[in-house]
Amino acid sequence: MSVFSRLGERRAGFLAHRAGVAGAVVLAVAALVSLLAPLFVPADALDVTRVTADAWQPPGAGHWLGTDHTGRSVALLMVQGTGTSLFVGLTAAVLSVGIGTLVGVVSGHFGGLLAGALLRVTDFFLVLPALVLAIALSTVLPRGLGTIILAIGLTSWPSTARMVRAQTLTIEARPFVERARALGGGHAHVIGRHVLPSVVPLVLVNATLAVASAIVAESTLAFLGLGDPTRISWGAMLHQAQLHGAVPQRAWWFLLPPGLAIVVVVLAFTLVGRALEAVVTPKR
Amino acid sequence: MLELKNLTVHYGHKRVVHDVSLTLAPGQMLGLAGESGSGKSTVAMSVLRLLPKTARVEGEVLLDGEDVRTMSWGRLRAVRWASASIVFQGAMHSLNPVRRVGEQIAEPMRLHSTPGSVAELLEQVELPREKARAYPHELSGGQKQRVMIAMALACGPRLVIADEPTTALDVVVQAQVLAVLTRLVAEQDLGLLMISHDLSVLAQTCEDLAVMQGGELVERGRTHEVIANPRHPHTAALTAAFPVIGAPQHRWTEPAPAPQPLLRVRDLVVDYGRTRAVDGVDLTIGRGEIVALVGQSGSGKTTLARTIMGLRKPSSGRVIFDGAEVAAKGRALKAFRRQVQLVLQDPSSALNPRHRVFDAVAEGLRVHGVDGDHEALVTAAVERAELRPASLYLDALPHELSGGQQQRVVIAGALVLQPRLLVADEPVASLDASVRGEVVALLLRLRAELGLASLLITHDLGLAWQIADRVAVMHQGKIVEQGPVEQVLLTPSHDYTRALLRAVPQV
Repeated sequence: MSVFSRLGERRAGFLAHRAGVAGAVVLAVAALVSLLAPLFVPADALDVTRVTADAWQPPGAGHWLGTDHTGRSVALLMVQGTGTSLFVGLTAAVLSVGIGTLVGVVSGHFGGLLAGALLRVTDFFLVLPALVLAIALSTVLPRGLGTIILAIGLTSWPSTARMVRAQTLTIEARPFVERARALGGGHAHVIGRHVLPSVVPLVLVNATLAVASAIVAESTLAFLGLGDPTRISWGAMLHQAQLHGAVPQRAWWFLLPPGLAIVVVVLAFTLVGRALEAVVTPKR
Repeated sequence: MLELKNLTVHYGHKRVVHDVSLTLAPGQMLGLAGESGSGKSTVAMSVLRLLPKTARVEGEVLLDGEDVRTMSWGRLRAVRWASASIVFQGAMHSLNPVRRVGEQIAEPMRLHSTPGSVAELLEQVELPREKARAYPHELSGGQKQRVMIAMALACGPRLVIADEPTTALDVVVQAQVLAVLTRLVAEQDLGLLMISHDLSVLAQTCEDLAVMQGGELVERGRTHEVIANPRHPHTAALTAAFPVIGAPQHRWTEPAPAPQPLLRVRDLVVDYGRTRAVDGVDLTIGRGEIVALVGQSGSGKTTLARTIMGLRKPSSGRVIFDGAEVAAKGRALKAFRRQVQLVLQDPSSALNPRHRVFDAVAEGLRVHGVDGDHEALVTAAVERAELRPASLYLDALPHELSGGQQQRVVIAGALVLQPRLLVADEPVASLDASVRGEVVALLLRLRAELGLASLLITHDLGLAWQIADRVAVMHQGKIVEQGPVEQVLLTPSHDYTRALLRAVPQV
């Protein structure tokens, strides 16, 4: 009962952050759109060989957001791209936060040579220019969604690892951990019962912020033409627009919507992350 | 000089100070005693209007006849530190760790553009003037507290408020700091308002005493009269809670015949890098015996306890428990830890703030994979620790409990494994006087009912007198004297033991 009341308190705390609530609403809408995309988008509407509309149609009655260089509806492309962007953002963030948490907890808890080695690896990844590494990875590995996720995940974990390590060290210094050791608790007990529960709230906050940067990274890679050519994503739309001359055509309707959508979703994730941070951090 | 008239402070609807009237003259030392939550610190903060904005202050706070409550902001800033200053509690947290202490002492002088020299101030508090260049972490606890006092004196105030100036210092250092304060009051004709939960400290230094309880002033008068004939029951309870070494009514235990040894420590040495923390210690604890290990902070007593528990590896020497040497790791060490349990000084940090009482107590059962009905075992342990009925407490989070209740939860967490030895590191040092007695009695009762032996690590000789069978005095890593309580505390043979006993404040 009291666990629920605590959750209730947290929910009330979150609801007090208006910006966070607005972000959450935006994300809910985006998630809904991506889940319902198959209902909106007829099977052959995005097939280049079957479209009937003319290329570069400005927004109008038939096409709310106009058409692209092949006559496909930009509005339907946007709907179709939502899922890809969110999926890549979420999985890449989970991967990066997962690696970061593992490295952080292990190096913070065990210390010694292992921690030294892990920290050097973390430093190495921290100083690597993430985008360059991601580009290198996606050129070497077969092109596809998996590669993009791997490239983003492998380059963005060091900051999480640093933060989790710092938090682990502060928890390990607390007397209740000493008490657990004196009770006979081993590594698994100390990590599982004391370290992880205190690290998880921070990690969750970090994950929402990581999703935002993963979405930006995905868009960047796709814009540079390193994305999955068979998938439609917002970054890939920008890539197409740039490739087929949306600017000389003055086809703003092909450039603005994906750009704005990226900004809005990233902002929404950031707002939610900040609000969560304010809720889970104990007040002083 | 300072006059409080009918001071009342509310936080929202909660009244924390009610109708307190006090006066303080130059050269006078007034002690303000009370337990945590009695409102004594709030009274102190109201003198310099340092209370948060949410506090509603009524009544008059007259500083040299001027009401602090109605002063303009500029006037208040001029009065702060120049007329009245504060020695905050917890010197380790009140100093900026990244600045030299000399700069920090000079800070109020610069703000008020008062002339003076840091070197002179350091001399007044009996610190060498070179220490001005030291950073806080390079100083000991007592030295930091002196820096705080020097800082309070920087602008030549006439009133100094000392909020728990010696809490967390050991007896010897405490005596030195109190001596410095007393001398300064006499030399500079200061008024000193000293706040403490420790009646014996106030009795030692202040000629006048005021006692607060629940926000009200319950008693006030000359110290020796108040202590000798307390008129209010709370004062009487506070006075009784501080054991007098040598007084038979404060000796709560009977000396037992020499029991069989349970734990033996042989020639134990522990090094921290190049420092030798424990230097060849021999110690024996019998079955059901309570042994007090006393000494100043830094004497190595905590390291010794940690090593006995197997939390640190000894450099050499042996720990023998129940006839067998304690293993360094693996299953044997785990089995040993089931028999020996640790009770830490500060119960609020010894409990994971996210764990409910049930989980905190059941932790040991889970670690050791004990079969059986955990709920029944936990309930029994919690009730043994005198939290009755257990059902009221099992679902509570640590912050919902008082300090005494938290310490009982820690003790219950130890009892649930049915240990044979309890290692208690300052088990009552952070508790209020009234709770302290109950927890001490609980330890004694556990010995009587369960035959539980204890190693009490403490700098509090009074606690040793109350319940220990034997005392071991530790100094610079060595045990300099050990024996039955009466012998060591009443007829000490080592100089260091005598120095410790001299430093104990007397009520």
